[in-house]
Amino acid sequence: MQRIKFIDKMIDGNLSRRQMMQAAGAFGVGTLILPRPSVAAEVLTCLEWGGYDSPDYFQAYVDKYGAQPNFSIFAGEEDALAKVLAGFAADVMHPCNYSVARFVNAGVAAELDTSRLSHWKDVFPALQSAEGVVWEGKTVMAPADWGNSSLAFRPDLLPPEFTENPTWAIFYDEAYKGRVAMSDNEMAIIIGAMVGGMPYDEAYKLEGAALDAAAKEWGTRAVNTSKFLWTDSSEVQQAMASGEIVAAYAWNDLVANLRNEGVPVEFAKPKEGMFTWFCGLTLLNTGKADEQAAYDFIDAWLSPETGKALIEGSGYGHANMKSFEIADKEAIANMGITDPVAMMADTIVFKTPTDAVQEGFNKVWGDTKALKY
Amino acid sequence: MIAMLALPLAALVVLSFWTQNGFELDRTPTLENYAQLVRLTEEPTIWFGIPFYFAYPVPAILMIKSVVMSLSATVAVIALAYPMAYFLAFRVHKHKALWIILITIPFWTSYLLRVFAWKIVLGFNGAINSGLKELGIIDKPLDFLLYNPGAVVITLAHSWVAFAILPIYVSLEKIDRSLLEAASDLGDGKVKRFLRITLPLSAPGTVAAALLVFIPTVGDYVTPTLVGGPGGTMIGNLVQELFLRQNNAPLGAAVAITMMLIIAVIVAIFLWAIGYRRIRARRA
Repeated sequence: MQRIKFIDKMIDGNLSRRQMMQAAGAFGVGTLILPRPSVAAEVLTCLEWGGYDSPDYFQAYVDKYGAQPNFSIFAGEEDALAKVLAGFAADVMHPCNYSVARFVNAGVAAELDTSRLSHWKDVFPALQSAEGVVWEGKTVMAPADWGNSSLAFRPDLLPPEFTENPTWAIFYDEAYKGRVAMSDNEMAIIIGAMVGGMPYDEAYKLEGAALDAAAKEWGTRAVNTSKFLWTDSSEVQQAMASGEIVAAYAWNDLVANLRNEGVPVEFAKPKEGMFTWFCGLTLLNTGKADEQAAYDFIDAWLSPETGKALIEGSGYGHANMKSFEIADKEAIANMGITDPVAMMADTIVFKTPTDAVQEGFNKVWGDTKALKY
Repeated sequence: MIAMLALPLAALVVLSFWTQNGFELDRTPTLENYAQLVRLTEEPTIWFGIPFYFAYPVPAILMIKSVVMSLSATVAVIALAYPMAYFLAFRVHKHKALWIILITIPFWTSYLLRVFAWKIVLGFNGAINSGLKELGIIDKPLDFLLYNPGAVVITLAHSWVAFAILPIYVSLEKIDRSLLEAASDLGDGKVKRFLRITLPLSAPGTVAAALLVFIPTVGDYVTPTLVGGPGGTMIGNLVQELFLRQNNAPLGAAVAITMMLIIAVIVAIFLWAIGYRRIRARRA
C-alpha cells in the first residue's frame, strides 16, 4: 500500500522534497546530499591488502560480532594513505614496517594501547620493539604477518645459467622483454640501482638528480621489459601459471599458491639479496566505529589461529610465537626460516624513507610509467 | 541538478588553484599548477621521435596519446555501428523493437565484465591464441594482443558501439523514403543515392554518435588500467595517479580541467569543420 500511495502522491505532485529525497535515499541516490541518519553502531572499516579480507584471518572478530567488517582493498600503501587523507573514514589500516611512518607523519595513526591486546604477550619480542612497530617512541603498529619480497621464477622455462645463479638483472634484460613482470612499485628503480652496484642502504633514499638518473636508466628499462606491472597478486599468479611470464617480483604467497596447483616455481635468493618485510595493523584516528571493535579486530589478527591460517595458506610468517606450535609441521618446514630475527639477519629488511624521498619516488615512478609506449 | 553537476566542477576548479605541500593543502590561490603544465625546458623529452620541450612532459604526451587512441576508437565505432544501424533502418521490417533489444543485450552486463571478457579473448591463453594454435597457424601464443594501446582501442570500440547504433538508427529511420525513390527515379545508382541522400541526411545522428563516443573515451581510466599495461596508459590514469598515488590533488585537478578544455576545443573544431550549422539549417 505504501508504494501505491507514494506513486499516487508523486503523480498528483503533492510530494514534499523531503519525502522525495527519502525515497531516493532508499536507493542510495541521495547519500551525498542528505544528512546521514545516525546509526546505532558504525561497522568497522578496514583498509586491507587484497586477499587479507578473508575471515580466516580474523575469525575471532567474526565470532564476537557475528559479521565481517567492511573492507576497502588497496594495491599500495600510498593509495590507501591518499584515500584516508581525502576523507575516507577507515578505522584500521594494514601498513608495513617501511610505510607506517607515512601514516604517523600524516597525523592519521593513533598510538596503540598494547594492554588491550590479549595476544600481545605472545608476539616475538624482537618484533614488539622493531622499528616500524615503534615509531618515535610510540607503538603504532601491531605486527601480524611477515615475509619476503623476492624473485619468483619458473625453473622449467629458464636456462640453467639463470636458475643456478638467479639475479634481479632479469627485469632489466632486453632478452626477457615481455616475459617478466615487475610489481607496480618504485622498487623497480631501487632494485635496478642495486643491480647497477649500489647498496640498498643508498638506493632506498635516492633523491633529486640521482633519483632522476636512476629512474631514467633502471625504471624505464623495467617498465619496457615487463609484460605488465602487477598490482593484484592473482593477476601475476595466473600469468606465471600459464607460462606467459617466467619471472616476477613476488611475495611468499605466490610460491605457496602455485606449488599447491602443481606449477613448478622457485622463490629465488638473488645475488643482490632478497627482502624481508613485516606488516601489521595500525589504528587510525579517522574511524567512526567503536574503538573496542578495532582492538578486537587487531587482536583477532594476532591470534595463533590466524597465524596457522597464514602459515598454511600463504607461506607467510606470523608475529605470534604460538602460531608455529599449532601450524602444520610440513608447512612450517616449507617456509624455511621460521624465526623472524634470523630471517632479518639473513636478508635485507625494508627501510623507512623520509616523506620527501617517498614523494620523490612516487612522482618519478608515475612519470616513468606514463612515458612508456 | 545544479548541486550534482556544478558543485563538484566548481570544487575541482577551486582545487586546481591551490597547491599541495606535503600532506597539507596550501590554500593561497596560484596559477602554479597550470604553469607547471606548460613550463618549457631546453632539454626535450623525445617521445615517438617527437621532441617535447616541456619541463613536465607527461601530461602533454598522454593528452596527445589519449586523443589519438580515442579518435581511433571513435572511427572504429562509427565504422561498425553505421552498417548495423543501416541494416536495422532499411532491411528490417518486422519486430524492430526486438532487434534493438537483441543488439543491446551484450550491454546489459557490467562494463567491467565486458572489459574482462576482452582480457580473456586477447589473453596469452585466450580465445584468439588457443584458436589459432588449434588450427596450427601459430605454435607459440601471440603476445602482442594484450597490454598495449591496440587492446585499449579494441575494447573501447566494442564497449561503445551500442551507444552509437541508436542515434545513427534514429536519423536513418527519419529519412523520408520518398526522397530515396525520387533519387532512383531521376537516375541515381545505389551508391550515388547513398552518398547524395542517405549519408548527408544521417549526418546529424552520426555526428552525435561520434561525439558521444569520443568525449567520454578520452578520459577513460578503467579500460587502460585493465587491458592497457604500462604502454596503454591514458590521461585519465594520470589524473587518478596524481589524486591517489602522488597525493597531489591540485595538480590532478588542473590536468583534469585542462583536459576538459582541450576536448571542448577539439569538439568545437570538429563541428566547425563538418559545417554543423549548415546541416542544421538544411534540416530546419
